[in-house]
Amino acid sequence: MTILARLEQWREQGAISPEQHSHLASLCRREPFSLFLELNFLLYAGVLAFVAGLGWTVVTWSQQLGDVLVLAVLSAILAACFWYCFSRAPVWSLAETPAPGAVFDYVLYLGSLVWCIELAYLENRFHLLSGQWDFYLLATAVFFFFLAYRFDNRFVLSLALSSLAGWFGLTISRWPSHQDAAYRQYALLYCLLVGLGGMLLKQRGVKVHFFGTYLNIVANVLFWALLSGVFEQQGYGTWFLALLLACGASLAWGLKRRQFAFVAYAAVYGYVGVSWIIIRGVTNDTALFAYFVVTAVGMLAVLVRIARHVGRPA
Amino acid sequence: MRIYSPPSEETLRARRLLADWAGDDLLTQEQYQRLQQDTVSDIRTTNIFLRLVLFLFTLIGVAAAAALFVPGFRSPDSEQTVGIFFLVVAAACYAGAEVAASQARLYRYGIEEALAVCAVGFLYVGMQTALFSGRPYSLQPNEFQFLVPAAGAVFSLWIWRRFGLWYAFPVAMIFAVFLPGCWTASRSAQHGIVALLYATGLIAVIAFRSRHHFDYVEDDFSLVEALLWLGIYLALNLQISPLNLRAQWLSGGTRAASEFPRWFYWTTWVLIWVLPPVVLARGVRQKDRFVIAVGAIVAVLTFVSNKPYLGWPRHTWDPMLLGILLTGVALFIRRWLARGAGGVRGGFTATRLSGKDKQWLNASSAVLGLITPHSITPSPQTTSADVRFGGGASGGGGAGGDF
Repeated sequence: MTILARLEQWREQGAISPEQHSHLASLCRREPFSLFLELNFLLYAGVLAFVAGLGWTVVTWSQQLGDVLVLAVLSAILAACFWYCFSRAPVWSLAETPAPGAVFDYVLYLGSLVWCIELAYLENRFHLLSGQWDFYLLATAVFFFFLAYRFDNRFVLSLALSSLAGWFGLTISRWPSHQDAAYRQYALLYCLLVGLGGMLLKQRGVKVHFFGTYLNIVANVLFWALLSGVFEQQGYGTWFLALLLACGASLAWGLKRRQFAFVAYAAVYGYVGVSWIIIRGVTNDTALFAYFVVTAVGMLAVLVRIARHVGRPA
Repeated sequence: MRIYSPPSEETLRARRLLADWAGDDLLTQEQYQRLQQDTVSDIRTTNIFLRLVLFLFTLIGVAAAAALFVPGFRSPDSEQTVGIFFLVVAAACYAGAEVAASQARLYRYGIEEALAVCAVGFLYVGMQTALFSGRPYSLQPNEFQFLVPAAGAVFSLWIWRRFGLWYAFPVAMIFAVFLPGCWTASRSAQHGIVALLYATGLIAVIAFRSRHHFDYVEDDFSLVEALLWLGIYLALNLQISPLNLRAQWLSGGTRAASEFPRWFYWTTWVLIWVLPPVVLARGVRQKDRFVIAVGAIVAVLTFVSNKPYLGWPRHTWDPMLLGILLTGVALFIRRWLARGAGGVRGGFTATRLSGKDKQWLNASSAVLGLITPHSITPSPQTTSADVRFGGGASGGGGAGGDF
């Protein structure tokens, strides 16, 4: 029985009203057909292609065009974008705010990317910070956080989070003897900062819908950092313990909140970490393959149980 | 042919639609709960995350089990026994997938999918090892070599129809790409044969689709039709064809007109301009999301590959012009639709009708925002005083470019 036949049956049974039947049947028949997603992706691709071309043109022709023209054009685009956004933005609210227009998010995105190009150009040509340009990343991250919260934009929030991660990474790369251990510590610091920040903002009720983005990024960075510690030749015990704790927390959170991405993180990262600890000294191929057969079957048994009890499609 | 009965699949589809409608407040909670009772299915499903993890661990288990027993079949003078062993593993995997789907009633559960995928993989490797291992490599096409990709393509098609796994279809298409290389050394003939194979498939799919409207079969065939249109386009576009990728990577350039017969080269140029409007028209007429998307993608690819086709130099501002064009088209369509009565024209609207669209957009925004800086900062960052930009490689918000 097709969905249209079912709808007809439900209407006859009185389970749905004639108005509901009419509306739902038209949705099933794609009348009207929404091009919302397609047009949004077209806008995104358009902005990205434009910015890529702009960057490429500036890189290639900056000598011929001259600083004044390049900066004037970039500043004009930047000013136009932010003027558009600030003049049309609705009053700020703690709650989720819909964009005032269909192109608003993309104008903001364009402005943010042009900001990056202009900063890079400024530093390269005039060395304003004498090569200490990691501070640009920090400033950019702060600016993007402001924009993301002011205009309720996930695109720019992701840019802010990646800029902040870039600043952490870049700061360490300047150290004379940067090593994995230092990277790991700063990755953990990043997780702590972003995680606590996200949690604090959530508790205050500030743009609560952003919390998922924070949590997913923090979880992945944290697991990578802990795994890199587990892969160390010595002193990996603490990292392994921390990995187990993180997996437990991720699993509990995923099951309690029915956010199964976190169950998946716990299963995959946990399996990699535990397997590494167990097989790190094993040289016998047969034992190695037998281990993977047995543990994969074990993992399947556990995951099927989870799927049966709580893992139905949401 | 299908392992799941049509009523089961229709019921699952109805269940998914009910959840969407309840999420969009088109049904009350009481209505939703009552109608859910009407859509109870004996098939077991799970969510996408657990599905992926179950898929992964099934792959690990099967691969490890195969690797565990391979040494027992390896003899010093012949690899053929190993090939036969792989064929046995393929059969075992397929049997496992059948049992998982028919007895345990698993549907898009990861386990039966991974077993089916392993069956295809082991069939390919097993046939290649059993039939052709130990033979000296030759650039000359072997007339029987086609058996391996042909078997892979046919088996992938079977998996697609039997289990309804959409990704088995593009796998079959990829196997088909390797077929003409076994029959002829002519590059133009290879392109023509692949396009012809895909076109034959497309005609069959369109004919079959015309008998199904607004049911689960139409959903399945919609994606397949889109993939076939894309395949035909890629086979015909000599500048970006998968058949040329290896040569392009090796030479580091684009294909010159001299590599193909003149008539063939210019015929394909005409076709890459003809195909996008045809695909878009078909997608719009059918109100088919996948076909419309492929129409848009091939239109962009035509713009991108036109200059290399004509042998014209690329300019740094070409992407800007493309960006302006894409944005302009999107804005024009949006405004044109919005001016219709109730924001609808010709059965199309630019407004969002489903909460799922918003979820998709939110998830895409977060992911695309994270990866965008990398896309626009191509070169690695350096730490010398004479700084060259590219810090986005470390994840930065793109304070990059490379000046």
